Amino acid sequence: MTARHLRSYWLMLKWVFLSNRTWLSLNIAVQVMIAVGFIYGISFFYPSITPETAKYLTAGAPTIILITVGLVMAPQMVASMRTEGTFDYVWSLPVPRMVYIAADATNLFGTTLPGAILAVVLGASYFHFNLSLSPLAIPAVIMISLGSTFMGYSMAFAVPKPMLAQVLTQIIIFAVMLFSPIMYPAEQLPGWLRAVHQVLPVQYMADLLRGTLTDLEVNLGLAFGVVGAWFAAGFACTWLLVHRRQ
Amino acid sequence: MQQDAVLRAENLCKSYVKGVLVNDHVSLSLSRGEIFGLLGPNGAGKTTFVKQVIGLAKPDSGRIAIDGVDVVANPGYARQSCSFQAQVQAPISGLSTLEAIELAGQIRGGRYREVHERAMGLIDRLELGEWRKTMGATISGGVRRLVAFCMAAVVPGRVVILDEPTNDVDPLRRRAIWQEVQGLARDGSAVLLVTHNILEAERVVDRLAIVDSGRVISTGTPASLKESAGDAMRLELTLEPNAAAPGFPDFLRHPVVINRRILGEVSLSHVSAAIAWARALKEGGAIEEFLLGPATMEDFYIRMVRNPNGTGVKGKSQ
Repeated sequence: MTARHLRSYWLMLKWVFLSNRTWLSLNIAVQVMIAVGFIYGISFFYPSITPETAKYLTAGAPTIILITVGLVMAPQMVASMRTEGTFDYVWSLPVPRMVYIAADATNLFGTTLPGAILAVVLGASYFHFNLSLSPLAIPAVIMISLGSTFMGYSMAFAVPKPMLAQVLTQIIIFAVMLFSPIMYPAEQLPGWLRAVHQVLPVQYMADLLRGTLTDLEVNLGLAFGVVGAWFAAGFACTWLLVHRRQ
Repeated sequence: MQQDAVLRAENLCKSYVKGVLVNDHVSLSLSRGEIFGLLGPNGAGKTTFVKQVIGLAKPDSGRIAIDGVDVVANPGYARQSCSFQAQVQAPISGLSTLEAIELAGQIRGGRYREVHERAMGLIDRLELGEWRKTMGATISGGVRRLVAFCMAAVVPGRVVILDEPTNDVDPLRRRAIWQEVQGLARDGSAVLLVTHNILEAERVVDRLAIVDSGRVISTGTPASLKESAGDAMRLELTLEPNAAAPGFPDFLRHPVVINRRILGEVSLSHVSAAIAWARALKEGGAIEEFLLGPATMEDFYIRMVRNPNGTGVKGKSQ
């Protein structure tokens, strides 16, 4: 990467940040509310919280926040930009398209972080257990967030009509929150759904945070491998799709 | 075509739906310091042409070169060389006027201090001072378009592409925009101006092309195109409200009815007959007023292009 690319990245980051600053505080407030909701609210589902359940909830809440921002908010923003014809302007700037995408992804990642961190801190203190923090939590969080974001971009750029992306995000959020082994172990799912989650990245994203924030037993190598593969696929699809010309 | 062309398009063909050419063998060239107008009705293929130059769309066939560099193969060079005001509004809802112009200038490679000075100059000359710190979301469509113009002009490219820069802009600021456009050309940029506004374009462009149904149907200087209409005078009649158009005499050439306006050409030898005919219509209560004067670029344009609202007679292609 050249100094010119870095300068472009910095300026596009400034552009995206300043453009979104009016709703940035609102967005962070929503993330915080989701964090609080997941820790306090979901615990009402359980008659008693075992130490294991507490760890699932505490690692699951930030996973859902990171996935939701990437797979729901990113495609919704792209869909609305496509509807308004904004990319006709952005793609005409003397900035490589992936530099703009990187700036946008960075901004989304920054927006997600306060809610995700708060969820972990709240969970550990509310359920009274000690976190087992690993330095691998940092790459894990980055891979979950950026992996989801690139998959979100791919979907938003691939669908022919932007409105379709808006509908798909509603289905995704529903599937992620209720039918994914994020807040509970995969063993509680029916066999066919468990099989589906063997190939989807969601369960492995949850595993990444379980394995790097708590002492729950997970196969971290497998989780990094699968999430890494989805991250690479999402990045490659985004690259191909944003370089398409009409 | 000029040898010193900065931008050169040759035999450009483009279709979005198979078999329907939006650009049909379009060839154009722009020189350094030249203002080139691209005129044509809605859907003529003007914006599609621009999108191919800037790398947003890819031609089916043909060649586009900037400074001799093939920009179909190397769209990054086009983005470096061209500054662009799109037909759609620029995404500046969350930015103030000054921030948007300064950031656009810096992204185009300008240093902050110079960009700031140029931005302030543009804001001053286009009288945008009262909106300098106002967020894009709360300014009117016309002011937003002016800001988008400034974003393209603050650090101009070797080619400056302006797609309908004066839409929604008030007459005084339109005049200021045209002065800026002339300034850009004086400073050496080749300006490609896409517009519907023939009367304004006529005053500012050095050369122009009229595009219809994807094809370039005429190219030249405004004067040469008007000259090609011969010794024609223009006769304009305004019908009384709800009055039907009268039958046209033989000496009225290329008559077009646009709502209550009737436009046509009259040769010098038929001027007296035309005045007598128009007077009779006025006295008979069929028309409100009439005007006879030298033919304008608009007359030539209407003659060349089919008018969807009128009953125009299409002229011969050059």
